[in-house]
Amino acid sequence: MKKMMAAFAVLWLMAVPALADQPVLGLVVSTLNNPFFVSLKQGAEEAAAKAQVSLVVLDAQDDSAKMTAAIEDLIQKKVAVILVNPTDSDAVTPSIMKANEAGIPIFTIDRGASGGKVVCHIASDNVAGGKMAAEFLAEAIGHKGNVVELMGIPGTSAARDRGKGFNDAIAAFADVKIVAAQAADFNRDKGLKVFENILQAQPEITGVFAHNDEMILGAVAAAEAAGRTGIVFVGFDAVDDAVKAVQEGKLAATVAQQPALMGSTGVEKAVAFLGGASLPEFIPVDLKLVVKE
Amino acid sequence: MIMRRTPSSSRLPVLLAILVGIVALLGWHEPRFIEINNLINILRQSSMVGLIALGMTLVILTGGIDLSVGSLVAVSALAGAGAARAGVTFPLCWGAALAAGALLGMVNGLGVARLRLPPFIMTLGMMGFARGLAFMVTGGKPLTGFDASFRWLGIGGWMGLPLPIWVFGGFFLVVWVLLELMPWGDQVRSVGSSPRAAWGSGVNVPGVTAQVYVLCGVASALVGLLLAGRIDSAQPTAGVGYEFGAIAGVVFGGTSFSGGRGSLVGTVIGVLIMTVLESGMNMLNVNPFAEQVVKGVVIAAALVLYGRTGQALRG
Amino acid sequence: MSALLEMRNVHKRYPGVHALKGISFSLEEGEFHALVGENGAGKSTLIKTLGGVVPPDEGGEILVRGERVAWSGPGDALRAGVGIIHQELSLAPHLSVAQNIFLGRELRRGVFVDSRRMREMAKDLLAHLRCDIDPDRTAGELSTGEQQLVEIAKALSQKVSILALDEPTSSLSARETENLFRVIDDLKSRGVGIIYISHRLEEIFAHADRVTVLRDGEVTGRGAIGDFDPSSMVACMVGRRVEVLFPRSFRDPGEVLLEVRGISRRGVLRDVSFELREGEIVGVAGLVGSGRTETARCLVGLDPVDGGEVNLVGGALALRGPRETLDRGMVLVPEDRKRQGLFLNRSIRDNATVMELLHGLRRGPFVDREKRDEAARRHVRNFSVKCRDIFDPVFALSGGNQQKVAIAKGLAVAPRVLILDEPTRGVDVGARAEIHEIMNDLVHRGMGILMISSDLPEVLGMSDRVLVFRHGGIAASFDRGDATGEKVMLAAAGGGVHGG
Repeated sequence: MKKMMAAFAVLWLMAVPALADQPVLGLVVSTLNNPFFVSLKQGAEEAAAKAQVSLVVLDAQDDSAKMTAAIEDLIQKKVAVILVNPTDSDAVTPSIMKANEAGIPIFTIDRGASGGKVVCHIASDNVAGGKMAAEFLAEAIGHKGNVVELMGIPGTSAARDRGKGFNDAIAAFADVKIVAAQAADFNRDKGLKVFENILQAQPEITGVFAHNDEMILGAVAAAEAAGRTGIVFVGFDAVDDAVKAVQEGKLAATVAQQPALMGSTGVEKAVAFLGGASLPEFIPVDLKLVVKE
Repeated sequence: MIMRRTPSSSRLPVLLAILVGIVALLGWHEPRFIEINNLINILRQSSMVGLIALGMTLVILTGGIDLSVGSLVAVSALAGAGAARAGVTFPLCWGAALAAGALLGMVNGLGVARLRLPPFIMTLGMMGFARGLAFMVTGGKPLTGFDASFRWLGIGGWMGLPLPIWVFGGFFLVVWVLLELMPWGDQVRSVGSSPRAAWGSGVNVPGVTAQVYVLCGVASALVGLLLAGRIDSAQPTAGVGYEFGAIAGVVFGGTSFSGGRGSLVGTVIGVLIMTVLESGMNMLNVNPFAEQVVKGVVIAAALVLYGRTGQALRG
Repeated sequence: MSALLEMRNVHKRYPGVHALKGISFSLEEGEFHALVGENGAGKSTLIKTLGGVVPPDEGGEILVRGERVAWSGPGDALRAGVGIIHQELSLAPHLSVAQNIFLGRELRRGVFVDSRRMREMAKDLLAHLRCDIDPDRTAGELSTGEQQLVEIAKALSQKVSILALDEPTSSLSARETENLFRVIDDLKSRGVGIIYISHRLEEIFAHADRVTVLRDGEVTGRGAIGDFDPSSMVACMVGRRVEVLFPRSFRDPGEVLLEVRGISRRGVLRDVSFELREGEIVGVAGLVGSGRTETARCLVGLDPVDGGEVNLVGGALALRGPRETLDRGMVLVPEDRKRQGLFLNRSIRDNATVMELLHGLRRGPFVDREKRDEAARRHVRNFSVKCRDIFDPVFALSGGNQQKVAIAKGLAVAPRVLILDEPTRGVDVGARAEIHEIMNDLVHRGMGILMISSDLPEVLGMSDRVLVFRHGGIAASFDRGDATGEKVMLAAAGGGVHGG
């Protein structure tokens, strides 16, 4: 009996440091009701398994109160790092400050935080995505022709970054001319209306890039209604409708974010940070182009 | 004592002159702008905000306001699309959309007329409620891919004109007859001019008030159907911000916020001016940041101008 | 010694109207100078030029104590000691009484507003007017009469040496009017010059030292009060001699049209009962707030009752709302015609036909425009409403003409019973006589009229019977022969007289 007790105690003493050696990471996801974030979670889990760290995943169900509670739980558990994909940039700030007080490093994924101290923000590289779209579009129209840019809500970061990447890259093609750049506010209905007007003004249009898929789908509808053909359309975000339109050949391409890559990058960088690596404030995650298979 | 005629009648020619002036200016700058094709485009683009603005005119004539129109567009489009998806036969699914718009409009009307909630508060609440409802039932995702029959209202045409223009024109005619030819229209204006005097004069003030909100809801539902048809998608975000365009058109068209005075024709011209401006700036590729500024300046200038002209006409 | 105020050759032209055609006017210290004339004669415009509200045209002069003045706004005039109380009350409805009195010249302690001292001073000022309005009350919730008193207190707080009052008593009760004249006497004795505009000739004959009569922007009569009698004054005002007697011809009343039995409304009315017969005018006197207007509102269903019943031409009324009453043949022309009676921004036609349109003037389901215009023209003709055409907005009409439109609106549905609340308040002499004639004509054709009025001569001259209200109930009732001004006033003020 005594022997058994002793053996148990030894085992206990051995086990605890072993558990303590393997760092625990916490991940709070805004919602698992959306395939995008499910992929994000799966990517994170795969990366955690590969790095031999344990990962606690909590679902905020798109509810800022639940997100706050989840982060508090992780602080209580004294996890090594908290990765959060906030439901809301403002709502997450107080929780981040709490984690700061508790000395737990915090990473944000996809959506940033408006306050608090964040080690590193991991999100899609919208500038690179815009560039990717520009290069694809230029290639598809044979490096020459008139193109149109449908812009998101003026002043938003997505509109700014996607537009910058696109414009910088298009500038490299001397024979590709942007004949119109108008805001359609990320909205399908507005995209249709604005493109309708541009079609009227521009007799020759060879390509269109829109800052999101909603606007490009609106533009496709406008061109269809006006009977204009021979236009290459490129969108952004790879929403279901757009992917379907790509398969049907109505849309040439749409730039897709890679949620799984965001998740895995988050975990990898967190592990690297625990290992003493210094990280930049923002780590861009590559995008990829969805084209007809 | 200075005798004055009701100013609204003298505003219409001024408004019309502003519209023609802007069109002429844009046409001179960009001849494509005044091609028949584009004029049809502009009418079609006007039809959405225009329909709502017609309903809004009635509401504002009673001294109220309806901020919930954009949200009602989304809810009724989703109701129609949902019914179509569930296999409801084609004209009936339109009925579902119209019923949804009318029902929520009725809730607005009863809140304002019976519970005496200020219209601003009541419809602000409805704006949030209906938008939230749209997000809840769809989980934030649009319903897409409909039969051509469901989409017909948005994409079809008749006698060379797109159906949205016919719907807009038809609704205008109905509302115009109600307002200008029927005793009901007189009661709407009386309620807006002085609800107390209207009540004292035997007008059914709560009834008339509720009715204008129902009509405004029906107008929103029509827009929901047109929109869902045109873009082949019923979106929970549909119609965001439509209230601004509609209210701007109504006020630009000379309908007074204080109620009782205004006209549907003015509203239509007001909406046309706004659409022409937007469309013209798209065609001239005006910088999107500058676009807002230009729009603001033109509206302010036009209001000042027609204020002046109105005074001159009144003597 | 120069006069306190001297206006010489003052002109004012508005587009299309020559409102003042070279008016001269003077005022001595401690003088009560009445300014009379029909609406539109230029009285209010003259007061406005004096008060700096509108600038007079070039060429004329205004001298205060012999010094020429040219004011750029009402503030300048006030600082020079000229206070004006305009006919349209101008209190800020959401501010307290004290805040209103000191609006724009708030008392301060350091950088802070000294509310306590303002409240106390306001209370003193109001006490001086023998009125106990709580200075903390919001101006908007005061009765018209109370608001008027606050306006007067506001002017008095500025230590004015010239005080002009534009129809101050048109909405005051008899007691309030009496107080006002006491205050005016007090001011006179301190050397303040009073310019007084009123349509009530009896007030002018009782209090004025001197009278200036205006007609169409010109002075048509001036002199000591003793130089005038009522007929000659009215002749100066209207340019012809007008019968100042009331045009009532009495006859025996017919069947009972309206029977009110014990209606009550908590805190407002208690046990009000009376009858109104065919061909009869029942006058209702009483102070503001005594339950006169409140009774009228309950009768047409504007306010709910807690108990009692109302029978109209045989059947009981459910008191559900004005529509029921209107359909049953009883119409109220309310006291506050601008807010409750008329649609100010709508045309004469729209106003005059709004009730009629509930039943008629239609062709199928549509409004018959021709019939409607024709009906409106008929009303304008029958009531001799002075206007350019029936599409003029009613806000452009004078008070008397507005009142005629308000009455025409109700009469268009051919009611059996007409309730008129203050039918001639703010109405000029000519229009007042016309309204009285219309009333006489209506009762001759079998209508019953309940006439609520603060104008005692009107009540006495027009009524078959007089009901006097006090504290929410009928304090006394007099037959035509019995009613005298004294008895009615005593009953209204609580003098303990009980008439038959």
